[in-house]
Amino acid sequence: MPKSQFISPDEIRKSGVLSFQDIPLNQYNKTIKEEKENFSDKDFMRIYRDMAYIREFETMLYLIKTTSEYNGVAYNNPGPAHLSMGQEASAVGQAYLLGIDDFIFGSHRSHGEILAKGLSAIEKIEDNQLYDIMKNFLGGKILKIVEKDQKSTKDLAVDFLIYGALAEIFARDTGFHKGLGGSMHCFFLPFGIYPNNAIVGGSATIAAGAALFKKVNKKNGICISNIGDGAMGRGPVWEAMNFAAMDQYTQLWEDAYKGGLPVIFNFFNNSYGMGGQTYGETMAYGILARVGAGVTPSQMYSERVDGYNPLAVIDAMRRKIDIIKENKGPVLLDTVTYRIAGHSPSDSSSYRTQEEIQAWEEQDVLKSYSAKLMEANVGTEEDFATIREEVKNRITKICAMAVDESISPRMDLFKTPDAIEKLMFSNEKIEKMEDRPVEVNMPMSDNPRVQAIAKKERWGFDAEGKLVSKNKVFQLRDGLFEAIIDKFYKDPTLITYGEDVRDWGGAYAVYRGLTEALPYHRLFNAPISESAIIGTAVGYAMAGGRAIVELMYCDFIGCAGDEIFNQLAKWQAMSAGLLKMPVVVRVSVGSKYGAQHSQDWTSLCAAIPGLKCVFPVTPYDAKGLMNAALAGTDPVIFFESQRVYDVGEQFHEGGVPEGYYEVEIGEPDIKKQGSDITILTVGSTLYTALKAAKELEEKYNISAEVIDARTIVPFNYDKVIESVKKTGKILLASDAVDRGSVLKTMAANISELAFDYLDAPPVVIGSRNWITPAFELEKHFFPQPDWIIDAIHERIMPIQGYVPVRNFTDGERLRREKLGV
Amino acid sequence: MATPVIMPRQGQSVESCIITKWQKKPGDHVAVGDVLFTYETDKATFDEKAKVEGELLGIFFEEGDDVECLLNVCVIGSKGESYEEFDPKNAASAEKTDESEKTEQAQPVAAVQQVVTAASATDRLKISPRARNLVSDTGADLRFVTPTGPNGRVIERDVRKLIAEGKTVSSAAANEYSASAKGIVGTGIGGMITTSDLSSAVEEIKPAVAASAAASLDFGECEEVKLPNIRKVIARQMHASLSEMAQLTLNTSFDATEILAYRAKVKEGREKLGLANITLNDIVLFAASRVLLSHKDLNANFFDDKIVYYKHVNLGVAVDTPRGLMVPTIFGADTMSLSELSEKSKKLQEEAKSGTVNPDLLKGGTFTVTNLGSLGIESFTPVINPPQTGILGVDNITTRVKTVNGEIKPYQAMGLSLTFDHRALDGAPAARFLSDLVSALESFSLLLAK
Repeated sequence: MPKSQFISPDEIRKSGVLSFQDIPLNQYNKTIKEEKENFSDKDFMRIYRDMAYIREFETMLYLIKTTSEYNGVAYNNPGPAHLSMGQEASAVGQAYLLGIDDFIFGSHRSHGEILAKGLSAIEKIEDNQLYDIMKNFLGGKILKIVEKDQKSTKDLAVDFLIYGALAEIFARDTGFHKGLGGSMHCFFLPFGIYPNNAIVGGSATIAAGAALFKKVNKKNGICISNIGDGAMGRGPVWEAMNFAAMDQYTQLWEDAYKGGLPVIFNFFNNSYGMGGQTYGETMAYGILARVGAGVTPSQMYSERVDGYNPLAVIDAMRRKIDIIKENKGPVLLDTVTYRIAGHSPSDSSSYRTQEEIQAWEEQDVLKSYSAKLMEANVGTEEDFATIREEVKNRITKICAMAVDESISPRMDLFKTPDAIEKLMFSNEKIEKMEDRPVEVNMPMSDNPRVQAIAKKERWGFDAEGKLVSKNKVFQLRDGLFEAIIDKFYKDPTLITYGEDVRDWGGAYAVYRGLTEALPYHRLFNAPISESAIIGTAVGYAMAGGRAIVELMYCDFIGCAGDEIFNQLAKWQAMSAGLLKMPVVVRVSVGSKYGAQHSQDWTSLCAAIPGLKCVFPVTPYDAKGLMNAALAGTDPVIFFESQRVYDVGEQFHEGGVPEGYYEVEIGEPDIKKQGSDITILTVGSTLYTALKAAKELEEKYNISAEVIDARTIVPFNYDKVIESVKKTGKILLASDAVDRGSVLKTMAANISELAFDYLDAPPVVIGSRNWITPAFELEKHFFPQPDWIIDAIHERIMPIQGYVPVRNFTDGERLRREKLGV
Repeated sequence: MATPVIMPRQGQSVESCIITKWQKKPGDHVAVGDVLFTYETDKATFDEKAKVEGELLGIFFEEGDDVECLLNVCVIGSKGESYEEFDPKNAASAEKTDESEKTEQAQPVAAVQQVVTAASATDRLKISPRARNLVSDTGADLRFVTPTGPNGRVIERDVRKLIAEGKTVSSAAANEYSASAKGIVGTGIGGMITTSDLSSAVEEIKPAVAASAAASLDFGECEEVKLPNIRKVIARQMHASLSEMAQLTLNTSFDATEILAYRAKVKEGREKLGLANITLNDIVLFAASRVLLSHKDLNANFFDDKIVYYKHVNLGVAVDTPRGLMVPTIFGADTMSLSELSEKSKKLQEEAKSGTVNPDLLKGGTFTVTNLGSLGIESFTPVINPPQTGILGVDNITTRVKTVNGEIKPYQAMGLSLTFDHRALDGAPAARFLSDLVSALESFSLLLAK
């Protein structure tokens, strides 16, 4: 909501019509003869060869899946194989002009794109550079396997490419990423091949994020989201297209950064989303290319391209790359093609006729292309036969290597049981993702927020031990701000975006002052597109940057489920550590705003392997944990509580340090010493527990030790176990709903680890398994100090003279569980 | 309009009542004041009378059913009216939910008190791992513990209290315990001691403890004998009898002048008349077999949820045998003449002593008589042979005095000790039986005349 833009009622209410330009459909009609000015005979033949590689590669997988044998090589492949016979021309045509600075992002059906892009890259890269890439990749492991016989570097590189991809598909330790990605998640960064994605449309936001990285960090090249026509049914794809085209790029961003994101949303349109026919059945667009007209005034330069003619696709790419170079992206391409084989080998094609398949086979891309070349005297029948023979021999040779256990072993999880475990997090500390000056608007000391904070009291109590007033005290939000602005002045790649972060300063004023400090391209408002916010951050990190993104409420995690749970959490391990994911996702746990704005979803995030989850509730911890999160290379879901943005520091003696420090992720903190019972809290329930502890001490002479988990994943139990050994009793509490609470996991672990020391089973207090009711009723929903004492009295240690209010008995537990509430 | 009839709550502590008899059946016309059904609590029997007039439309429980108080039992209304909606089985689920919600609101305090006191009711000791470890470290004596944890669990503070009060077992015993515990070799992961290790260790510890005890203390000469089966059976039954029943014993004595005289008479003329050698015990058996007929509570078998009364008296006779106590049964004792009874009793006693008794005759008793009087015992506590409800002990004869017409006169008195199961009958009926038995024995000739 920049003040520079005026929303004029006269303009908005003006009468008129909106007109569209024509959208070209398959306009390419050049002959081979005409194209000879663009292509040499060798180029024409190489296009044929590359298509032949894809056809043979996919045929090989098809035969192995369906007959467990290919050309004398026997193998059983239980993994997925979504094949693309028929789509070769569109893949090869797209890759033909791309360099290694151009990144492609794929789908579940992307073997062809990987081979095409790789073969194109091999053609373009100098031999010595090519050799270095192979030699340096995974310590030369793949190179050693394929380097056996004498051959040219380019020949070697083709073997390298096909072997690395196939070994990955066959889940071999010698695959491009140790077999941890497989068929649907394969990639090879040195050739600009970015990950495929098993989630339909998953690559749209990620490709947009990588394009954002290119723009913000002034990198060469474009990004392509290769997804299918079925993906147009997915919201995140639309979110990604809009995100890539936001008005602010042209209207608000600084001159050097003006223009939409350098990304092509390319739809390999084979008319089917699995069996659901998009055209005529499940979609409404009629012609996919139409969608571009609904997204931007430029209509995303949308057009339909004949994906059955490699030269038509190359022609389209040439024009679209130029548009992007003029900063007019994003672009939409409707590349029509056809998948001859089923969605997967188990597909009986019950949704289409043999006539339809035959009609497309008659126009087969390899046959029709070679026929045209022969007609134009570019090659002879024998030439094409020779190519097919060579291709088949090579695929056979590599296939035999890839299925051979002695050459291509799988990861040995007996010998190295931690092989996957150690890939779940990268656990690195990198101060800045690139070493160059940062772009900021002013020296930090001139920042009005920084100056205001300087006057604040960094310790929460005054000389008499009274709480310093909210207006004067250094608050939790100030702690977050200090850590974040500090990193903006260190890491030039760091950007932040989310809903209402610029101008407004974030809904909870954490970012107040950042608008003054940072140019648009480092701090901008995102559309209300949670999928795109997270998905682009994943792409931004994959491409080499660091991002903090914000979802205004924790509840909105639900809108970005795939991006958080399947993308952000998974890519480090699926890439065998080749990708880093330095993304901090700030989520604010609400209160007062009812069922869809007040949920603590720490348990949900903690349940997904691959995410670090932290939840600081003091200014000291907030600053220290944010510093640690921003210094690391792992995805961190950074929970904040709207109840405590304004608290001062009440625990860390001396207050919040002005300088840089980190609080180690994974370390709980004892906030109050005690001897009779341990209370472990997650989130702002710390303060609830402290109230309970005070009452226990003053009224009942029971000394409670209160431990703030601070981090949920990872979690070091040492301090907690030590405390339980001392007290023999533990109650765990948080605002997360009781059922499925991560505290139940912690309680189970504590039961196992300290069983002999326990005087009662660990007891978990969470919110009720209800909707969050209105603020006025919240005390019946969220744990209260008296709930904690009631539970201690009823489940751990009856307290002399205490009269409980809530029912925590076995019978009540059973009743609630039976009802599922 | 159909009116449901509920099972009344007869007193606050009554939770349910048993319908003993339906006095009306569905379809009957009922007038106000008609008895609908008879029911009983553990203490008394009541009639439920109709409060409205109409047809008994339907009943929801059968005779013998234990019905929760306040539930609908039957419905009175006009012919043809529907009544199923009153069936508590249909309403059960809905009402239960209401109840439990009320519980949450109103009863947390009571619930917790239950939590604290429920402990003593269960046999198994509930103790937290921490408290158990503290016990093994300190030798706190758990026999004195008062559990204060939830659900009656012994928690650390309870053990600390024992220690503070000095309630610990001797350090020598504690050492012995921990020494034996230390000898256990854990076979679990990381040498963890599992329950199977403990049970195998117990087997080893037993003889070890016995041996060490034998070594440290001089018992002099002793003999170790494996228990014969009958001893095991007796042990089990007697222990079960004492631990599961509510037994108590009433003692009395009676003037044995008449039965002594009668016995003397029989002795004189028995050969002539072909009578058996009738003993005093036989006379008591005979009297008991007759008096029991009008005291059905003692001629009965008691089971947890029912009691079986017998029309005839199957009299168990306790016999001291070289193998131990045996109780053969005289079936239909109440139908035998004194002489027949005497012969039967003798025969069974001999068979029991010689070990030839038919095993079928060692069960099926409805009441038992045991006699220690011949061994000079003046009074004792016989132990009931379950599921019987009583056992009569016959004591010896002593000389007592009484005043007759202001004069002190000595007489021969015989003692009787009746143990009965208070679960099956109360003290007064038992005393009445004993009193009737005393009358019968003191006026034995009249009993014979019956």
